[in-house]
Amino acid sequence: MGNWTTLETDVLVVGGGVAGTMAAIPALEAGLKVVICEKGKVLDHCGSVGCGVDHYLTVMDTGPEWDTPEFLIKHVPELTDGIVDMAVASRVIHEMPRIFRKIESFGVDFKDRKTGTYYRLRSFGLPGTYHINFDGTDFKKHLGERVRKGKATVLMRTMVVQLLTQDNRAYGAFAFDFRTGEWYAIRAKAVVLAAGDVNRISRNASGLAFDSWHFPYNTGDAQAMGYRAGAALANMESVEATLTPKGFSTQGLNALVSLGAYFVNKSGERFMFRYDTKGENARRAVLADAVINEYLLGNGPIYLDCRHLPQEMLDRMERTLQVDRYTLPAFYQQKGVNFREELVEISISELSIRRSGVYFRGSGLAVDTNGETSVAGLFAAGDCATVSGGIAGAAVLGHIAGEGVVRRVRGTVGLLPEIDAKAVESVRARAKNHLERREGIGWKQFEDETRRTVTDHVGVRRTDKGLRLALQTLQALAKREPQLKADDLHGLMRVHESVNIRLNAEIMASASLARKETRTGSAHWRLDYPKTDDEHWRKFVIVERGKDGPAVRTLSTDRPLSDAFARDAAVA
Amino acid sequence: MAEAKVHNPIEINPETCVKCNLCDWICPGDLIYKEEDNRETLPEIVYPDECWYCGLCQSICPTNAINIVFPGQMVHNQTNVVDLLGKVVE
Ligand SMILES: Cc1cc2nc3c(=O)[nH]c(=O)nc-3n(C[C@H](O)[C@H](O)[C@H](O)COP(=O)(O)OP(=O)(O)OC[C@H]3O[C@@H](n4cnc5c(N)ncnc54)[C@H](O)[C@@H]3O)c2cc1C
Ligand code: SF4
Ligand code: SF4
Repeated sequence: MGNWTTLETDVLVVGGGVAGTMAAIPALEAGLKVVICEKGKVLDHCGSVGCGVDHYLTVMDTGPEWDTPEFLIKHVPELTDGIVDMAVASRVIHEMPRIFRKIESFGVDFKDRKTGTYYRLRSFGLPGTYHINFDGTDFKKHLGERVRKGKATVLMRTMVVQLLTQDNRAYGAFAFDFRTGEWYAIRAKAVVLAAGDVNRISRNASGLAFDSWHFPYNTGDAQAMGYRAGAALANMESVEATLTPKGFSTQGLNALVSLGAYFVNKSGERFMFRYDTKGENARRAVLADAVINEYLLGNGPIYLDCRHLPQEMLDRMERTLQVDRYTLPAFYQQKGVNFREELVEISISELSIRRSGVYFRGSGLAVDTNGETSVAGLFAAGDCATVSGGIAGAAVLGHIAGEGVVRRVRGTVGLLPEIDAKAVESVRARAKNHLERREGIGWKQFEDETRRTVTDHVGVRRTDKGLRLALQTLQALAKREPQLKADDLHGLMRVHESVNIRLNAEIMASASLARKETRTGSAHWRLDYPKTDDEHWRKFVIVERGKDGPAVRTLSTDRPLSDAFARDAAVA
Repeated sequence: MAEAKVHNPIEINPETCVKCNLCDWICPGDLIYKEEDNRETLPEIVYPDECWYCGLCQSICPTNAINIVFPGQMVHNQTNVVDLLGKVVE
């Protein structure tokens, strides 16, 4: 076992992605001491957007009514099928123009290089042209630079594995460097969880666990650690899948669709208008649903059709392809398919837990309007929080959380608890067990079992019986966790990830079992309760750690999730 | 049954690689290991089956020494999509 280092800081940020860097920035500006732990090695490229981005959702307040926060806020209930924390979503939308301008001031160029203006598009069923299409290759680099300028302590290749809490108050975490084996006990006045979404949780067409639409190294660590520390989670029943070229789970299709591509089924029928009056411009969740339904009706394979588009649009598509995923052109080339002239077969991706294709309704740690969870001093932002929406959602709530942290830290009186020696002993013993074990179960096999269970019974088509069966399997799997073996320090990281993925699957299954209705199509599709039941289910499903596993309760969506928190409101 | 050979997702050209370490630093999955401060050794992909096929390593390589190679089950995929849509137990 490696060495232990103890660090003292004002703020600990878990994850140096979009939300984490944006949370660090206001804390650094306020002169606080900030430590960031990040699994990646280079802050400028780590996380989901390391390869670049191509769209940013924002209201800009440029004059027309549709471009005001109030207009977008008015449409949020319908965009989220009524399941949304309006208090937090409204705060996020109100802050959008300010944070957008702040990011521009870091040097991110949102303007179209050719025209020098913002190229704003209407997509995903939003009620205005809120998406700026831009070359975001360097988006993350500018955030990283800002943080480095602010002189944060950044521990790279360092995975946070456990939070430290006492009396429902967070005071730090344990982490380890998976290249050197160095362990850290970090004492902090506030902790921000910004470790992203949950991936590697179900199967996809290629059968390769790391071939995922979203970032396969985000494994619900924040959600799992928060849950163990007593934080409330919500919307965990909602899953998200997307449409991908078959065999490669990648983004890129939605961009093509928003630029005018069609979907057709095996009979050549353009079927989207049977599902939504907006056709291919419907919300992402509706698109995925329609394709799922076509497959179940026996109308597959389903194809993407770009052949009708003018050359100029096809050129634009070709240029943006590799912004979303650098390797997409190589994939088409090695596959031997030319999307300009041929149909491209598409598939449903694996599932992930993020925001079920819906803006402003995140699945994850419940937060209040300051980004603080139900555990005092523990904040969350980005794809692991209950209000999210791509890079903009992560940036805005991240910044809000960073400002909330400043108030929390300034309001902190008295000494922080000493680091719990028993907890140190137990993480150390657990790591030693996994590393030294010769007999046991490999993390790949363990994870496969979770994926199989989720795909078969918790994924797209849910029933009471199937979900109970899944819970049994997942709980039996939990008993095998002590037998997990790690070949090396890298493997020890994967073991922790696998354990977190399983826990997220169990939380998802518990929440799905509780919601006895169907909502947002295949995001939560109960075959035994196939209708949306607004009379009884305009409610959040909240999951917390109970005595014997996940405890579930509900809260009316007329109230903010923070009404369910058993802590004092954040310092004003 | 012998374990199927793990597909190697990235080919590194030993002729053009200048052993700069950038691919090791940038890979988000901690898959590529290159000995630091040693201009003799080539980078090695230690955990090939954990590749995201993101191409960051390829895009950062200063000499274009990296080539991404997709495995058969990605480029010629035969999976029945309906199998991914769950088993119904009533
Ligand atoms: C390829 C791709 C393209 C995308 N393009 C767009 C786009 O154009 N527009 C858009 O709006 N959205 C886009 N998205 C979605 C967007 O990237 C995410 O919504 C956004 O990054 C969420 O921010 P986040 O901070 O929550 O997560 P991330 O940015 O992924 O950051 C999470 C970070 O936490 C780290 N981490 C995880 N676990 C731990 C742990 N235990 N300890 C320490 N660190 C940990 C990870 O390494 C990662 O760096 C894209 C996503 C992908 C994958
Ligand atoms: S980035 Fe390219 S040149 Fe540098 S070590 Fe890797 S393969 Fe070699
Ligand atoms: S393609 Fe991405 S995940 Fe795969 S080795 Fe290169 S950088 Fe790592």
